[in-house]
Amino acid sequence: MRFMMLFASVLCFTFVLVAGDVTGKIVFEGAAPTPARLRMDADPVCKRAHKEPVVGEEVVVNKNGTLKNVIVYVKDGLGGKKFDPPKEKKLFDQIGCVYTPHVLGVMTGQEVDIVNSDPTLHNVHTLSKENPSFNRAQPMKGMRMTEKFMKPEIFKVKCEVHTWMGAYIGVFSHPYYAVTGNDGSYTLKGLPAGEYTVEAWHEKYGTQQSKVKVDASGKVTADFKYKGN
Amino acid sequence: MLFEDRAKIPVEKRSYAKYYLIFSGLLFLGTAWAVWDEVRIRRPWKEYQTEYRELLSARLDSLRQVALENRDQERLKALEDELAKAKSALQSEEYTKAVEQKNDLLADLDIATREWRFARSRSDAAYYQYKKSLQTGINVEELKAEVAKHDADIESYFHRMEEINKQIALLDSVIYKYRDAVVRLEAELAQINSAANAYGLKLERAQAAPIAIRQVILNDFELTPFSEIKARIDRCQTCHVGWSEPLMADAPQPFKQHPLPELLAKHNPENFGCTPCHRGQGPALTTGFAHGEADKYWETPILRGVDVWASCNSCHSNESVLKHAPPFTKAKQLLLESGCFACHEIKGYTDVPKIGPPLNSLPAKVRPDWLFRWVKNPKDYNPHTRMPRFQFTDEEAEAITAYLMKIGRESNFQLVRARGTFAGGSSNRGKVIFETIGCTACHVAGENTAVRTKRGTTYDIAPELTRVGSKANPDWLFDWLKNPRHYNPDTRMPSLRLTDDEARHVVAYLMTLRDNRKLDPVNLALDDPAKIARGDRLIREYGCAGCHAIKGMENEGKVSVNLSDFGRKKYEQMDFGDTRELPLNAEVDYQENPDGTVSVKRTWAGWVYGKLKNSRLYQTDRISQKMPVFGFSDEEIRLLRMFLTSMTRDVPLPTYQRAFDRRQQEIEAGRRLTMHYNCVQCHTLEDRGGYLLASFEAEPALGPPPLPESQGAKVQEQWLHGFLKNPTIIRPWLEVRMPTFQLTDAEISQIQKYFLGLSKQELVIRDYASTTLDPQYLAPGRKLFDAYQCLSCHFTGRIPEGKSFADLAPNLALASSRLKPEWIVDWLRDPSKLQPGTRMPTYFYGGEAPDRTVFGGNAEEQIKALATYVWSIGSRARQAPASGQ
Repeated sequence: MRFMMLFASVLCFTFVLVAGDVTGKIVFEGAAPTPARLRMDADPVCKRAHKEPVVGEEVVVNKNGTLKNVIVYVKDGLGGKKFDPPKEKKLFDQIGCVYTPHVLGVMTGQEVDIVNSDPTLHNVHTLSKENPSFNRAQPMKGMRMTEKFMKPEIFKVKCEVHTWMGAYIGVFSHPYYAVTGNDGSYTLKGLPAGEYTVEAWHEKYGTQQSKVKVDASGKVTADFKYKGN
Repeated sequence: MLFEDRAKIPVEKRSYAKYYLIFSGLLFLGTAWAVWDEVRIRRPWKEYQTEYRELLSARLDSLRQVALENRDQERLKALEDELAKAKSALQSEEYTKAVEQKNDLLADLDIATREWRFARSRSDAAYYQYKKSLQTGINVEELKAEVAKHDADIESYFHRMEEINKQIALLDSVIYKYRDAVVRLEAELAQINSAANAYGLKLERAQAAPIAIRQVILNDFELTPFSEIKARIDRCQTCHVGWSEPLMADAPQPFKQHPLPELLAKHNPENFGCTPCHRGQGPALTTGFAHGEADKYWETPILRGVDVWASCNSCHSNESVLKHAPPFTKAKQLLLESGCFACHEIKGYTDVPKIGPPLNSLPAKVRPDWLFRWVKNPKDYNPHTRMPRFQFTDEEAEAITAYLMKIGRESNFQLVRARGTFAGGSSNRGKVIFETIGCTACHVAGENTAVRTKRGTTYDIAPELTRVGSKANPDWLFDWLKNPRHYNPDTRMPSLRLTDDEARHVVAYLMTLRDNRKLDPVNLALDDPAKIARGDRLIREYGCAGCHAIKGMENEGKVSVNLSDFGRKKYEQMDFGDTRELPLNAEVDYQENPDGTVSVKRTWAGWVYGKLKNSRLYQTDRISQKMPVFGFSDEEIRLLRMFLTSMTRDVPLPTYQRAFDRRQQEIEAGRRLTMHYNCVQCHTLEDRGGYLLASFEAEPALGPPPLPESQGAKVQEQWLHGFLKNPTIIRPWLEVRMPTFQLTDAEISQIQKYFLGLSKQELVIRDYASTTLDPQYLAPGRKLFDAYQCLSCHFTGRIPEGKSFADLAPNLALASSRLKPEWIVDWLRDPSKLQPGTRMPTYFYGGEAPDRTVFGGNAEEQIKALATYVWSIGSRARQAPASGQ
């Protein structure tokens, strides 16, 4: 038994040794659609929170021609391997009547702090299918609830009070996911050597897949391309 | 030769040893074979159970391994180290010495205690003697001294005991310091190991389970054909060992878990068995015989696929909706909507209203040539009509048309408005009205077939209007739209409260929907009395009056066979006409051959499939058939066939049935009524219907609201009565209208009882207006109402400006005249529980209140306060809140 455990830990260790990173960027081609202006007249608190006009984040094309708010994750190839959720919490904020971040990635079982930073009523209605859906009000500024999502899926979150408010939460059973930011790039760090299906998800343009092979050398690039209409 | 030689040997000298040896050898072999056959060959379940035990053990073991690996290894290691340390500390000199000393002290304590008790006894004895001496006067002082001496002993031994106990306590503090560490660590280890240990325990139990026949005996389940009580023995679980084991959800048969555990919660196989639903031969223990398929004389072989739902009908024949049996519910819906009971006697469907419209005043509505074509082939004009095709010849169709036109001319019905009243509408505006107010919930017109698709039947519940402009008389249409009950007092078409102008627009729109096909002109002789008489005969013969009210045919009976025991009919009793035979092992029951012929399996199921697919299939030159062709889909045929399978008179005894009590009867009556009036086309009710919502997928809140099972607990009876009589606007943002069904008081009361029954409430007469408010809660309620910003979505009285209708929630000024006060409390506590998916958020999740300043954050008190305030909004106009009592 001792020997077996020793052997197993040695095996694990070697796995970690031959782990690599998958990196890439999400290229956007074609004309970026004009983002919809969010009209917040229905709630003066929301309106007052912004001096500049606010636009929707459904499609955000970065200055370098890449797409923001795309989740890239390992779809297939990890086998039945189990991962412990990280101890640190993620933040899902409602500020200026906009969800921040617009797309959030978390691990199953990881704690998410859902916070209302506005002095107005918000409600958080998760339209999840795998995880139990909830619809909870946060009528006061500074209210906070800590949630965990136990099943992997990507679902929409919306606010019934402010119909323009929408966001997405992607839940993954492993740590190999990333959400693209202002540079449109992503890195999946420390993937054990092996063959994987990597998927990119965007709320409007859907999903794309790519097969990658991670070997001992450590660095693999996989770019995705989305086309505007 | 051999026997001749033997005959020469004297009888007493003949040897039988050889024969004895041979026959005893045969006997031995026979016995051995018999034993082998009995214990192995005929008991395959032994092997199944062994295999199952191995399978389950392997799964449990691997789960245990995973649980072991998933333990926090660092913590585990630390704990084990600590435990080892703590245990080795038990060897330390301090501990062992303390234990030794304690043992010595305990021995001393025993002695001291004993001596103390003896001293007390001696003292009691001496005291007795002393008391006695007081009366005799002998030795008084002496005895008194003795008592005192014993009392002193008691004192000293007591002190000794106390002394020892003190020392023991001192030692204990040392001992427990060591022992507690071990106990605490062991408990923590047990906690870490609990998951693995639980699997271990299950594993042990699985391995210890005996290999044995598992049977359920139902002593009084059903009656024999001679009305004697018959027991049912059911051994299915002997092979199907894993039916209740969630780990066997994906296991192969016979080990697989039953796919519907929630259904088994109500029909527990441990005391209900399996055969009441699945049929088969309960006591048999080999696959073929147990399933009843290997035994061709077994009358009730196992029901496979969708057919298993037929068994629901044995006990639930009175119910048309079963929550856990959607195929059963769907089959009953098909049966009701297709009107099978119009021609056939079917148990449970004796007094259902006719499904077709009355045919007494047709000339007001349609032209004879349209009617002729319709009678000949209704599907030609409307492929989705419920009216089946009778395959009448031109001559027959003409005769029927002649009869219907004749009774129409004699009808008293008259359009009340002047001719041409319909004219002047705008078809564009009519189209908008048609598509927004809810006509599309029942009628298809043109391209929008979302409701039909969602409904998923081959037929529409109401006539498709895509060609109505070529069918209907616009004067009649206007009259019909304004008040459908004028033309047909029993119609299920409601009034949508159209103004004259709105009705004109809709007529204008509908008249643009024309049949643009080139149709051959027809020449009809409608006044010929011989034709009319022939039409009369044909209508009676084909049972048209089963679905339609027809003047002169009021007392016609059902024209076809009684189906109440059809499920037991043998295929030998069925005629397959000119169809070809499909082999019994064919995959399908029915097959259309390339040469135009049809092959049917010679079984009950094959015959029924063929009949429902094409009801004239078994017609030959000598055997004519009258059943019309319905055009059911494969799925519909299978569902209806499943229902027919259930048509037997074998019914379990009442103890095994759900009591069809008053509440169930009221619920069922309400279901039939809500199906009759097509309420379910718009509203989701008992998990069915809501088809119109297919048009509101982007924003379901703009569609008709669902009616959850708690509806009866939600609205006040008086309000619902008034609303159903004369619908008022609750949600001003809805364009779709609740129609006026012109329901009678009796019908409304059926609906009330249906809703109340579903929410398990009784009809109680209450005066909601006099509900008193606790004034203490009013001010805090108001405060919370503001703090929780209820008016972000709701409004009181007038619709706020600048708000999009789509963002609004109901008018709270109506609450106290519409809702039940208890429901408001339940609703505030958890809206999603009462109406899954509702836009109303939960404020009091986890039993906590967001605002801690009111009632110290007590959720229940806050809910009460909010409910009180909401109730007061509308009732303030009526009455001032009861002031201080």
